[in-house]
Amino acid sequence: MNTYFNKFRSLPESLRQLIGLIFITIIIIISFSILNTIFGQGDELVKKMKLEEERIAKEKKLSALISKLPSGILVTFDGTDHFKLSDELYEAVCNATKLIPQRAIMGANFLNFRAHEIYTINGNKIDETFVKWDKEKNKCFAGFTVSGNNVGIDESITVSGEALSFLSTGIDTRVYYIKNF
Amino acid sequence: MDIIKKYPKVFQWLFLLAVFFALCFAIDVPETYKFIRGQAEFVKDPNQSTFVFLGKEVRYYAFDVFWRLPPLLGWLPIWINDSLFFLMNEWMPMEFWNEDTQEFKTRPLLLQISRNLTAFMTFLIELIREILLGGLETIVAFTSWDFIDAYPWAELPGLPWTIVAAGFAILSYKLSGKGLAIFAGLTMVYISIFGQWKPSMQTLSFILVAAPLSFAFGLGLGIAAFKSKRVEKALYPILLVMQTMPQYAVLVPALVLFGVGDHAAVIITMVVAVPPMILLTLLGLRAIPPEVIEAGRMSGCTNWQLMFKVLIPTARRDILIGVNQVIMVCFSMAVISAFIGAKGLGFNLLLALNQLNIGLALEAGLCISLIAILLDKMSLAWANKQIDYFGNLTFYQRNKNLIFFGGAFIIGILLAYAGSFYFKEGFNYLFEVPHNKGISTADFWNKGVDWIFETFFVYIKAFNTWLIQDVLQPMRALYLRMPAVATLVLVVGAGYLIGGIRSALVVCALTLFIALSPWWDRALVTTYMATFGVIISCIIGFTVGTLCFQNKNSAKFMLGVCDIFQTFPSFVYLIPVMMLFGITDTSVLIAVIVYATIPATRYTIEGLRSVPAGLHDAATMSGVNKFQRLTKIEFPLAFPHMMLGLNQTIVFALFMVIIGAFIGTEDLGQYILKALSDKNGAGIGLTLGICVAFIGLIFDNLIRTYVGKRKKHLGID
Repeated sequence: MNTYFNKFRSLPESLRQLIGLIFITIIIIISFSILNTIFGQGDELVKKMKLEEERIAKEKKLSALISKLPSGILVTFDGTDHFKLSDELYEAVCNATKLIPQRAIMGANFLNFRAHEIYTINGNKIDETFVKWDKEKNKCFAGFTVSGNNVGIDESITVSGEALSFLSTGIDTRVYYIKNF
Repeated sequence: MDIIKKYPKVFQWLFLLAVFFALCFAIDVPETYKFIRGQAEFVKDPNQSTFVFLGKEVRYYAFDVFWRLPPLLGWLPIWINDSLFFLMNEWMPMEFWNEDTQEFKTRPLLLQISRNLTAFMTFLIELIREILLGGLETIVAFTSWDFIDAYPWAELPGLPWTIVAAGFAILSYKLSGKGLAIFAGLTMVYISIFGQWKPSMQTLSFILVAAPLSFAFGLGLGIAAFKSKRVEKALYPILLVMQTMPQYAVLVPALVLFGVGDHAAVIITMVVAVPPMILLTLLGLRAIPPEVIEAGRMSGCTNWQLMFKVLIPTARRDILIGVNQVIMVCFSMAVISAFIGAKGLGFNLLLALNQLNIGLALEAGLCISLIAILLDKMSLAWANKQIDYFGNLTFYQRNKNLIFFGGAFIIGILLAYAGSFYFKEGFNYLFEVPHNKGISTADFWNKGVDWIFETFFVYIKAFNTWLIQDVLQPMRALYLRMPAVATLVLVVGAGYLIGGIRSALVVCALTLFIALSPWWDRALVTTYMATFGVIISCIIGFTVGTLCFQNKNSAKFMLGVCDIFQTFPSFVYLIPVMMLFGITDTSVLIAVIVYATIPATRYTIEGLRSVPAGLHDAATMSGVNKFQRLTKIEFPLAFPHMMLGLNQTIVFALFMVIIGAFIGTEDLGQYILKALSDKNGAGIGLTLGICVAFIGLIFDNLIRTYVGKRKKHLGID
């Protein structure tokens, strides 16, 4: 070891500096390789981000579509003065809708007495809501879950039904009426 | 092979560049990079990776490490915030007597210290402000509101502007003579009749508190560092970082510690102004010949006497240059501190710029520039003034300036008194011209700006588009395209080739700090903007400096111009560029170029001047022509000095890029600006400030090491 060191020291200054430079470069690259094995997440992240990218692109497309809809009530059935959604738009609006306002919840609860009781007793709390497109039935379903203590019994009830109309605010759409009978 | 042996350094640099470019080409931009950069950087995303350090969770996007290092220092800003919160709200709670409620109250120690400090600073500022402008807060502080109600005459009346103007003129005359006295008088008259008196006096009161305190602390610490190596070693890294830390960045922690307002601004101004005072005190004391110290000791001086009767008077000039620096830093901070609510000209300037009222901004900016020049000239004159210890003067000769001031004081009072009868509208113009009652040229300038835009819009737009699309964006893309590993190899390799392993390790540590922070991309954008500014500034500065050097008068004139431009607070440079180029990146870059050209020009002239005259003669005798002398003798010998100019140019450019965030850039400065309005921004602001300081220090280290070696090689050390 000592001999190699002495040999190295006897080399010309410029050559020693070049060797030093190469050595430093290698050390840096090796350090990065080690860090890459610990922190690198290359392909996995690429997959995740591609999915995210697709989701955001889809959301952007939907929000562009929604911004073109007239503000007010959008319905899926004939015979009203409100804006009638075509089949294609119905699916798009369903996929873009995230919110179920209290009006729609109260309306659906009205026909489900037990759900209405739990909802009232627990201070109008809703556990979760969902709006999803049923591909088989070609219909939009919306619903929510209420849970809580009703006369000493812990209960959880999911109320769900067909979303028959939506409210377009110009910025987003919300479920306007859930038919749960 | 012969070429390699003949030019080993060139070969080493070529090798380094080859490795750098090879790494750049070998490492692809990760597919996710563009997408992630397109999203907001602080969103919570389930795709982010996390790590926990010191109990703090850090979220980040895990790229290929060769491309971007994970932000392993992401916990630092959170930790700083939490620590500050703990220190200010929970650490060492104690019982303190509350004068207002007349009972004991439990408060954390640091919070109490901070409150006492701010109360003291507020008192000092109010005292000076009320001496200059009048008011009753100071009297109330010593008495009560009931007292002032009972004796309304006890309110401080303030000084008429005529007395302050005369005072400045007489002081300038004492320090430098007629020229400066006329300039001081005209400046004060201009400030008054343009209705900028009140904000100017507010700014002045700020400086009158911050500067003496900074001087006292700086002198004390400088003496301590001179006396003890340990103190010097402890202070050295802080001084180094503070030299390259943008003034803007230190405002953020001040907000948390001291709140908003003049008091916080004064305290943080002291933090920025003390380092140059320490450095110049140390420089002055070190330059004292040992014979002087010996003479002092031989005369039987005690340590105290030696310091204050021998050393400090001997180092007087350097110390007073330090005072000049302190005043200029305080003035610059007085303007920037408007961001944290300091009153005065800076606040008016900020308000005008926010409203895009270039005319008003120009008026405030002109006042700022005039006061800056005046204070600079006065303090420099004080530094250069020789004290006549042996003059046999009469009472009148010794005190004539005081007598004149006394006369001016009486005349000023009489004029103000007469004015109260003459001006019937409720405004006594001989006492103070109110802010909105002075002459205003704002409309004229605003119309001028409109005219410029209307007349040159097409050309300005074409220039903007060309610069942004064809120059800046490709350059920005190139910087952002650099993988972290390639950048680190380049910087560390350069450090190794310039200064050996020690320098390589220093720059490696500094670069790693930035690379491991969450703002590597932003740091690259900052570096790209600064680099662009530096390249253009150096081309202009070196050319202008070299051309001016050819003639003694032009060199003197150019140094004078540099002196004047250097006194302007950096913020002022934004006004004319916004006037011409609007709110674009071009404006920031033009401001960077103008600001950074000053040191490049100055150091080129001074570097060329430093070449010994004997060498000129020797060259002429050898039959070389002017061009050969310049390229073969003057440039090589002046090169180390010019490189120091480059170093200063980089620091100036960085400062301006950070200030440019006010116009709207995407660099670290923008995040510092955001941190200013974030209640949890102290940690982020401080870390970002350190990142900017470290960018400056990387270049500083490389250039200084190179200059040191080059000087040694040329035998001019």
